[in-house]
Amino acid sequence: MRVLIQLRPSSDLVAAVTDPAVSVTAADVAGGLPGIALDSSFAPVAVPRPVPAAGGDPLSMSGPLTFSLAAEDASVLVRGEISDDELSTRVSLLPGTRPDVVGVFADPVIEPYLTCGGDPPVGDWHDVERLLAVAELAAGGLDGSEVALAVLDTGINLDHVSRHLDREVALDAERSWVPGGVDGTPGRFDVDHGTMCAFDALIAAPKATLLDLPVLLSRRQGGSALDGLLSDAVAAFAHLREVLGAQPEESRALVVSNSWGSFSPRWDFPVGHPGNYSDNPAHPFNVIVASLEQAGADILFAAGNCGRDCRDGRCAFPDRPIVGANSHSAVLSIGGVDVENERVGYSSQGPGRLAKRKPDVCSYTHFSGSKAFGDDQPDSGTSAACPVAAGLVAAVRTQWPASRLSPAQLRTLLRRTADDRSTAGFDYDYGYGITDAKGILAALRRRKDA
Amino acid sequence: MFLVTVRLPPEATLAQAIERLGLSEDDVDTGYGLVLIDPTQDLYGLRVTEAAARRIDPAMGEGPYSDPPIEPFGPPR
Repeated sequence: MRVLIQLRPSSDLVAAVTDPAVSVTAADVAGGLPGIALDSSFAPVAVPRPVPAAGGDPLSMSGPLTFSLAAEDASVLVRGEISDDELSTRVSLLPGTRPDVVGVFADPVIEPYLTCGGDPPVGDWHDVERLLAVAELAAGGLDGSEVALAVLDTGINLDHVSRHLDREVALDAERSWVPGGVDGTPGRFDVDHGTMCAFDALIAAPKATLLDLPVLLSRRQGGSALDGLLSDAVAAFAHLREVLGAQPEESRALVVSNSWGSFSPRWDFPVGHPGNYSDNPAHPFNVIVASLEQAGADILFAAGNCGRDCRDGRCAFPDRPIVGANSHSAVLSIGGVDVENERVGYSSQGPGRLAKRKPDVCSYTHFSGSKAFGDDQPDSGTSAACPVAAGLVAAVRTQWPASRLSPAQLRTLLRRTADDRSTAGFDYDYGYGITDAKGILAALRRRKDA
Repeated sequence: MFLVTVRLPPEATLAQAIERLGLSEDDVDTGYGLVLIDPTQDLYGLRVTEAAARRIDPAMGEGPYSDPPIEPFGPPR
């Protein structure tokens, strides 16, 4: 997190800061602050001391005040960055270690605008194709051939996907799975959210084979028309473990894209209850997620659309909205950026509830793509970012099955090569950064040569 | 309804789960059936009514676990 650190150095140093003829660096003022990466490009700024009128309350900012930049009164601001993981510890311990530190304050990004829900598309899917270096991936033989790419969602309309991608696409109905009580055939569901996800997954992995698992269409008792129940996802994951088990062990490649989650604690047991889902790794769904990953599947979950800047109106968790399996240590939790590499305002921020370091990475969203919601509507939400990243993973799996690169190693690869958006590594907005296909390709080449 | 889990031998059936948990067919979602959660632990899951979940002997099965609705994340509303 970016911070402003207010210090009260010696009066000579304050006088130098206030003198435009003297050059003073952040290191001169605040050198050696443990765990803080100082921003050397930010010239220290003198902050005047508020002085109350005679007899006024020295601790009130609401009475009449004058402001003093005298060297014995003023303080100095420098800018730096603290790792999100250690933020509260360092902020609370710092003044005790360094008596010259007066305070540490948030330095939020101020931007004219962040992309939010309802905004028009930012770029199109060809921009995503370019940013994901799809031509270079394909030239390296990484196009998704023979890789199963499961989309757990509202069902896929294959004709729509094929028409809007303007190419043939493959779907394996035999290995797809439809929950009990749902009418329909894999690949022939109404155009909706799942069709968008399938389209987006095929941007980076054009030759992957889709598996259609419309878990969000379930109308089991307790569900409603356009949602499912977590138990449907449990059953779908059990099916996928059979799919994976049927693949030869030396060439296993199954990528699972999940652009859904639980918006509210209302239907869950309270945190701390043994039957709770949001915070409990022992919940059956969180157990089966770990089991499928251990069997060799790459599992990706959208981080969610509960970002502080423009959260989805359905978000009902009061804080830490990346919950349950979306925050599982065995999955990649995907945040969203637009094609200008800026975080979209609705992309959920960490920490996650099961694993703190969430989201893991960000991928592209809010672009004109599938047109599943209308010709002028973007593929949006972390719902789109997740399958875009899943397609990239499927492309890698073309030549790197789980026997050569375990799901855990692949997650590390994506995190390590991500384009870091901060100067302190991981942060709760972008995770480790934006997925970088060229970086992945270079790392795989090095690995191949080793 | 809630999720409960039970440990059974490999290739177990819903009937075996019902018997182990001391339930009847009316207590469970037979359409959902018995789902293998983790083969390394011989751990299975099934959906049962709230009343049945509360009757289960903790020595025989675990739960109840929540079964919350899940929704697509996009488009943001």
